[in-house]
Amino acid sequence: MINRQRVRSHKAQVRIPFPVVLANILVFVAVFGLSYVWLCARCDTLGQEIKRLETVQRETRRRMINEQDRWSSQLAPANLDRALKRHNLAMHLPNEQQIVRVRNGAVSPSATLAYNK
Amino acid sequence: MKYKGRTVFSSVVITTVFVGLGVRLAFLHLRPSPEIMARIETARRLEQETRGPRGRILDRNGNMLAVDIAAKHVCADPKFIQQNGDIRAVCDALSSQLSMDRNVIWAMLNQPDRQYVRIQKFMREETIQPLRAMNLKGLVFEDVPIRDYPKGVLGAHVIGYANYEGVGSAGIEQRMNSVMQGVAGLRISQKDGRRREIYGTRTVNIEPQPGADVYLTIDQQIQHFAEKALDNLLAKYHPKAAWAIVQNVRTGEILAMASLPTFNLNRFSTAPAEWMRNRAINYTYEPGSTMKAMVIASALDCGAVRTTDIFDCENGAWFYGGTTLHDSHPYGRLTVADIIKKSSNIGAAKVALQMGNAKVYQSLRAFGFGDSTGLELPGEDAGILWKPDRWSKISITHIAMGHEVLVTSMQMLSAIGAIANDGVRMRPLIIRKVVNSKGETVLSPQPQVLGRPIRPETSKQMRRLMARVTQPGGTGTQAALPGYLVAGKTGTAQKVNLEHGGYYHDKFMASFVGFLPVENPAISIIVVADEPQQGGYYGGTVCAPFFREIADQTVRYLRIPPEGFTTEYVTDIENSGSGEESISD
Repeated sequence: MINRQRVRSHKAQVRIPFPVVLANILVFVAVFGLSYVWLCARCDTLGQEIKRLETVQRETRRRMINEQDRWSSQLAPANLDRALKRHNLAMHLPNEQQIVRVRNGAVSPSATLAYNK
Repeated sequence: MKYKGRTVFSSVVITTVFVGLGVRLAFLHLRPSPEIMARIETARRLEQETRGPRGRILDRNGNMLAVDIAAKHVCADPKFIQQNGDIRAVCDALSSQLSMDRNVIWAMLNQPDRQYVRIQKFMREETIQPLRAMNLKGLVFEDVPIRDYPKGVLGAHVIGYANYEGVGSAGIEQRMNSVMQGVAGLRISQKDGRRREIYGTRTVNIEPQPGADVYLTIDQQIQHFAEKALDNLLAKYHPKAAWAIVQNVRTGEILAMASLPTFNLNRFSTAPAEWMRNRAINYTYEPGSTMKAMVIASALDCGAVRTTDIFDCENGAWFYGGTTLHDSHPYGRLTVADIIKKSSNIGAAKVALQMGNAKVYQSLRAFGFGDSTGLELPGEDAGILWKPDRWSKISITHIAMGHEVLVTSMQMLSAIGAIANDGVRMRPLIIRKVVNSKGETVLSPQPQVLGRPIRPETSKQMRRLMARVTQPGGTGTQAALPGYLVAGKTGTAQKVNLEHGGYYHDKFMASFVGFLPVENPAISIIVVADEPQQGGYYGGTVCAPFFREIADQTVRYLRIPPEGFTTEYVTDIENSGSGEESISD
């Protein structure tokens, strides 16, 4: 019984004074509040960054499609014909007289052998 | 001391006012009324619905034919410009950059009570780039999607167009509208005082889904060949209209479908309605002699005649059923093979009479006449083939030479394709596949057999008989292509006079339909000219050369190997007992 009383009185002696507790609480609240504000600001910054990147992505996609469209337009057969004409590049398919036809039976075995060698 | 009472009073009043304001402020922040909350919510709420881009249209090799691109509406705030800018400078800049009348722009901007006017709609990015660089105050560039057709007029009638609301209104754009339309996206969020979205308050964010891409069976290069050939035809013979189709014989895939006059898809709203008509599928006409190929094929198939049977062609005029049938050139006795080669009306009529009404009708139905082919394009006509109970005594003779029957070019090509394809009629295909935004193929139409109007043996016979049409002495020699054996049939028909009945004597439909190579057909082509004005009117004169032009370029482009140009098919009349033609090399 006496031992218990001693322990209690010892505990009473080491009690933290109220101002310190209050200060701790205030510091905790302040840190919590500042963290909250910092996180809020961080989220806001990230949100803005995401929004900016979304805009960049949309713009890039738009430009890509527009460029693909222009490229596709330039590759239109009629445009290619015009371009060839503009540069005096007359592209004609060969005439019948210009074609050399090699038939299966026309190649002699020796020629085939020479080719294979 | 004198003013102590007043000071106290003033202090009390000021304190009361401030306390009151404080209490009100506290109430507004801590316990706002639902009404105020709703008003704040409405003012802050940001709800954006974004349209999913429409799917693209591509040719069989993935070349883009239609795509949604980003364009801009050029808008202005007249009130702001009047207060903060120089209205004259803005007017001058807009007028020069947008090529618009300065007075029109002035009238738009000179409205100090308005804060929004739309100066020009659907401007391309590159057009407004200089304007944007000027950094003019009070101008706004609104994003808007616009349908663009990078190839302009190429394949205009097949591709069709989507209107400014993004709804397909013609051609493939119309037929495949439901799969090509994108799914709209939705974003619900809040905005700040400058109407910018507050990212952290975003509660719903559904991205828009692009529509599916449609790949056509069309090949842009072959389409170009066909359109160029028709341009040349138009320049030489000045018909009212001309059209052509190129088809893969084995699969039924349409490789090109061109129709002139045509229009630029990017300016569809300025084109006359008549130019937008796809005559290849919705113009019905009496085909003339091209119909003889189907009649004679059916007669051979059912055993009514043999290729070597001889018919008296009455020296060009035959009185039958109270009317006289004529040939363009007088012929005496002709074999069935030569009836096709020389395109004798009297001979074809007599062959049809050998078959009888019922068989002619059944066989022409089996070739697909009187029914649409089922092509995936809107507006296809079914043509007209009356039932035999509505025929007169002479109808069968007229139908045999391609009158009293209305067909579309697509039907005619499909029927000729059956002759080329061992007697198997394929459904024409225009859509190769549909691929959704995730890259999955959601539709891939497979070649489909529509019928077998003739046996393979008859098909082989007919291929050889039709090859003689393009050989010396035939009506379609101008369709002959060195290195290849071309089978075909010419067609020249007087046009029906709808006003006074009967036929015009000076208005013709000229056509040539054929396929190549004869022994292993790969492609079939039809070329039709409506009312050639000068230089001739026969199918063999007007259309055959342009058939050859298209065929020449297409076989080389598709690398279809030649099959030996010295082979010639002749019918040995002397040895008619064998009943089969012989081949001489």
